[in-house]
Amino acid sequence: MTAALSCRALSKQLGDRPVLRALDLDVASGEVVTLLGASGSGKTTLLRLVAGLLTPDRGRVSIGGVTVWGAGAAVPPERRRVAMVFQDYALWPHLTVEGNIDFGLKAARLAPQEIVARVRHALEVTQLGAFGLRYPSELSGGQQQRVAIARCLAARPRLMLFDEPLSNLDAALREDLRTEMMALVRAEGITSLYVTHDQAEAMAVSDRIAVMREGAIAQLDRPEVIYRAPADAFVAGFIGGFSLLPGLAHAGEFMALGGASAPLRTTATLVGDVSLVIRPEDVRPVTAPGVNTLTGRVLSRAYQGRCWRLVVAIADSKVRLDWPDGPDVSSELTFSLTPENCTLVAR
Amino acid sequence: MTTVDQVRAAVSTRGPNAWTGLPGSVVALFGGWLANGLIALVFVLLIVLPLGLVLVQAFVPMMFDPLHPGLTFDPQSLARIFGEPRLMSAILNSLLLAGTVSIAATTLGAAYAFAVHRTNVPMRSLLLGVPWLVFLTPAYLKGLSWVLLMSNGGYLSQFGLLPAPLAAGFFGPAGLVFVHTFSLFPLPFFVIAAALAGLGSEFEDAARLSGARLGRVWLRINLPLLAPAFALCLIAVYAEVLSDFGLASTIARVSGFGLMTYSIYVAASAYPVDFALAGSQALVLLLLVVALVLADRLLRRQAAARLISGRSRPARIYDLGPYRWLMAAFCLGVALLSVVLPLGAIVARAFSRTLADGLTLSNLTSDSLLEALTVSHPSNQALLRSLVYAGTAAALAAVIATVLSLRLDADRRIMRPVVLGVSLGAVAIPGIVLAFGYILLWNRVPGFRGWPLPRYGDASLLVLGYIGAALPYCLVIILTAVGQLAPSLTDAARLHGAGWKRRTVQIILPLVALSVTTAFLFSFIRSVFELPMSQLLVPISGPAAPSEIIHMFAKEDEGMGSALSLVTMLAVGLVAGAIWLLARAAFGRRTDPAPVKARLLATVESPA
Repeated sequence: MTAALSCRALSKQLGDRPVLRALDLDVASGEVVTLLGASGSGKTTLLRLVAGLLTPDRGRVSIGGVTVWGAGAAVPPERRRVAMVFQDYALWPHLTVEGNIDFGLKAARLAPQEIVARVRHALEVTQLGAFGLRYPSELSGGQQQRVAIARCLAARPRLMLFDEPLSNLDAALREDLRTEMMALVRAEGITSLYVTHDQAEAMAVSDRIAVMREGAIAQLDRPEVIYRAPADAFVAGFIGGFSLLPGLAHAGEFMALGGASAPLRTTATLVGDVSLVIRPEDVRPVTAPGVNTLTGRVLSRAYQGRCWRLVVAIADSKVRLDWPDGPDVSSELTFSLTPENCTLVAR
Repeated sequence: MTTVDQVRAAVSTRGPNAWTGLPGSVVALFGGWLANGLIALVFVLLIVLPLGLVLVQAFVPMMFDPLHPGLTFDPQSLARIFGEPRLMSAILNSLLLAGTVSIAATTLGAAYAFAVHRTNVPMRSLLLGVPWLVFLTPAYLKGLSWVLLMSNGGYLSQFGLLPAPLAAGFFGPAGLVFVHTFSLFPLPFFVIAAALAGLGSEFEDAARLSGARLGRVWLRINLPLLAPAFALCLIAVYAEVLSDFGLASTIARVSGFGLMTYSIYVAASAYPVDFALAGSQALVLLLLVVALVLADRLLRRQAAARLISGRSRPARIYDLGPYRWLMAAFCLGVALLSVVLPLGAIVARAFSRTLADGLTLSNLTSDSLLEALTVSHPSNQALLRSLVYAGTAAALAAVIATVLSLRLDADRRIMRPVVLGVSLGAVAIPGIVLAFGYILLWNRVPGFRGWPLPRYGDASLLVLGYIGAALPYCLVIILTAVGQLAPSLTDAARLHGAGWKRRTVQIILPLVALSVTTAFLFSFIRSVFELPMSQLLVPISGPAAPSEIIHMFAKEDEGMGSALSLVTMLAVGLVAGAIWLLARAAFGRRTDPAPVKARLLATVESPA
């Protein structure tokens, strides 16, 4: 099957700094893939290369099986039929909501009836029917975001790009809008490439996540796979506030460096210099002493409603744990990890 | 699929490197060179060449000699400036005057800014308008109005408000300092008001919580933080006074107090014309101004960095209690001396038969005003000419600046910094120097003399002069507006299929329309009241209003001169006000006026 988006050996250098290094990426039709990474990892650059707002130094970009960049092709952004929800929404302030939505349709010289029908549909699905004649400045942040989405939906793009569309919103609104936005995208079945640096957001919206590091994809997989089996220490460190405890693995056992614990049994098969991935929610109070336990000193505690978030010092490492109560700072704490939860990654 | 077909169609119709919007394209490169060449040509013709010819005069004095033209290097004219007492004293007088006024105007502007922005002074809204009124009144009108007020038999003498020694001393350095100070205080007012607005109360709060009393807070915290703004004001006022032609050709001329700008005017226009001397003086003046402007730029950067950072709380307003009425009296006093008296004198004189008979009923007449409003009258002709010239120049300057801005915003590598540098430098060029350059270029240089448009002695050259003087301001205003547009707005339009024409017409232009209008109005008002260009480039068809006003005062027909001034101000106010209201109604939703105002403050300069 032809991928809706295909990037091959895509490279880009800004100044002296390589931003993308021969990157490959395929996105299937109707799929939502998130580019997740820290600042400078190249995720926004990749998004803009796909949109055509930046030009690659090398490589090829194909949309719907047609090469839009590379091998002699250079289709400008206005001909790619790609839509983007910008971080600042980029709503044109001098146009009404309807004006924003039908701008691209008029540029494409669609028939007036078709334009009216598409605008009406876009307003309907985004529940903006009552706001068509308003200007962006007369709308709330959430409504503005819906206009940005409606504008993209009306264009019926082959590919929809999201450039950190929730980063300007407060935490409470962000979750509501994320759910609403992705419901619309799913309902319309639009192939999407989504950029964020927020792993929780990435987990919530994606079919697959591409964790990016220094212009390359460190791991590309389904959210639950990345969560349960991060490819390496970098991915593990970037996802979910996991903590890493360096040590040695041999014959199904992990020994923390500095003798911080007795050997821990693990189902992982990795051997040699490794790090133990400790997911905060995986730790449990000790029920049977001496079984897969770790001991450390409580450095800090913070009440988080469902549990306490503790930071515990184990040898030279700091480990984050979710704990049912709040032990005193400086007290000693022993916790256990089941062998299945003792995930190892290469150091 | 429709989409795929469209993409395929786009690919199939595309030849190699045919997308002009893409970097690296041969067409884009060629188009870029062509556009850059045109931009360079505009600046060379309007600013660089005229200015260059003026400066070359200092070293090649025989270049335009009617009898023995030659290109021999001879800095004798330059040496003459420092050897001839009259010329040397013009330089020293200018420097002395500029130094004194810069201190006085900065002090007054700072005090006024503090009063209206940091205290609970009554009538604040009214008082805030005063600096703008003063700023928009041309310098020569202020000069002429003070002649009406302070001359022997003038209005203040008639009311017994002017002791004889004060009247005698007015027409000299003291009077010039006084009028300049009350004319130019808006400049420091704008700068310091902006600095005070950027000085959040958190600095003061922190100092007070550290045990400092109010006096110490101002001495150790606020004033040091405001120091760059003060330095900026001193420099800006200094440069303004050095470049001024309005008071130099009115009060200073009447007082026999020689100043550089008027000296250049005399050398370039009085018989026998001495271009070499005018060029040498222009070079000295320009060097003095440019050195100051460079210092200004340096300080402006520092000031911005210091004052913008860390501001999070609004500025503190001091409750003065009953003393606020004393503060109001001070502010009203400033308003009286800077606006009410000068404009009042012009209005009074416009409605009087003679100055000597004062403000009596029998002396009251509307004849001058009616004549100024009569279409066939020479003064009205001058006004109409001015409105047409200024309107044409402002429209062309705004159009050129818009086109240049769109192009320059796309090319941020070389042309943008170069053109911005030239524009900001050109802001500092005294009008008299540029006007002189236009005479040299279009009247003396072979190849330029025979052009149908512009032609020396024709209104087209005056209009070109107005454009040359206004273009740098227009460019700074519009380029800043274009630069403030988030790139995502045009990126979004591109992704929705809009080509560059549609993006420009439907996205960019509507969003910068209010700034383009601002640039147009600024150029229009500036050009209507522009004196040095109007004086040196008088068209054969008749003078513009500023020349006519000066001429009427010179031949002691102050009534007609005042009436023309009044009608000109009213006409400009009505036209500009109407255009602004229309523009606000049409485009007001699209842009925030605050950045426009800030840009105006940054490029503020009193006309003439």
